[in-house]
Amino acid sequence: MSTVSFKNSAFEVREDLVDAHKGAWECISTAGTWLTGERRVAVAAETRKARERASCAEAREALSPGSVKISNTTLGLLTDAEVEVIHRVVCDPGRLSELWSQSIIGMGLSEGEYVEIIGLISMVMILDTCTLGLGLSDLDLPEPKIGVPTQYVPPGSKKNAAWLPTVEPGDTVEEDGPMYPSPKAGYILRGLSAVPQTLRDYWAMANIHYTPGQFVYQFDRSIRAITRPQMELIAARVSALHQCAY
Amino acid sequence: MLRESSQIAGYKVQLSDVTSGLSDETHIPQGDLLVALSEAIVARDKDAIADARSILFQALGNDAVVDAVAVASAFHGFVRIADAIGIPYATAAQGGDAPDVREEAGINEFYRITSSK
Repeated sequence: MSTVSFKNSAFEVREDLVDAHKGAWECISTAGTWLTGERRVAVAAETRKARERASCAEAREALSPGSVKISNTTLGLLTDAEVEVIHRVVCDPGRLSELWSQSIIGMGLSEGEYVEIIGLISMVMILDTCTLGLGLSDLDLPEPKIGVPTQYVPPGSKKNAAWLPTVEPGDTVEEDGPMYPSPKAGYILRGLSAVPQTLRDYWAMANIHYTPGQFVYQFDRSIRAITRPQMELIAARVSALHQCAY
Repeated sequence: MLRESSQIAGYKVQLSDVTSGLSDETHIPQGDLLVALSEAIVARDKDAIADARSILFQALGNDAVVDAVAVASAFHGFVRIADAIGIPYATAAQGGDAPDVREEAGINEFYRITSSK
């Protein structure tokens, strides 16, 4: 059942988790909605670089968020705005602001690109944290695949309660593809909805790590090997250490 | 979600432990081991992770270790989506994350909330 990513683990890893990692890296290397496969893999590489840099800790400890300057060393693969997004979201996510997100859009990054990059960063953070937690090294980044971004914009995408546009469950159309497990999907599920393919790629992988949407509000049961209160204690402590108020 | 699931299971939880670290007032089985592993993972401290993982393995076994790591990993993604997209914090837990709960947990001291006042 093992693939390259878990073959050296001292632990027996459930098959759906192994498959989720394999599928996620395949998605990351493939052209998305706004980014080519090459740029998507570059985002993954920069996410790792940001995480390991001394300036990451420095950024978190700085009295003022954003005061640590970030240099773009991607040799043109990523723009300054993209590098800024990656480093700030990786290193100091709890101190982002709407003003900052608007400033990034003002630097020339489209809202679609911004959302797709957030999805990629979040995927890489989950994948690499999971392998780290299981005692493994980062998997080699995949070779980017040739392809053309679709540039699909959901017609129902608009500014709602979040800083970036989202698609409310009632505003989805058939062309968007599957989006939500139910019309009452929580706001966190709507976060990436301005780029439906990114939303699908992200949740297909994330649900296997946490719990699928249909079980999230069933507080009296767990489909994992730890109980629901145990899961939520981990979730709450990790979120708090990231200064996440959500 | 921690409060809801713990109430149903009959476990006592001190919500401020979420922000300040585990105390003797939270009584979730193996909570100390799970929090130790979570904190080591967030810190990306390989030695501490190995130690915490080993202790958890002795207590709960292989599958629990894998799932504890997986859940901790998942929240390295969720927090970034919530914070970078600017999902309103008041909508957490489908609006069930009441102000008094945030206050009790110490979450009202987070930048996102203090900077919006």
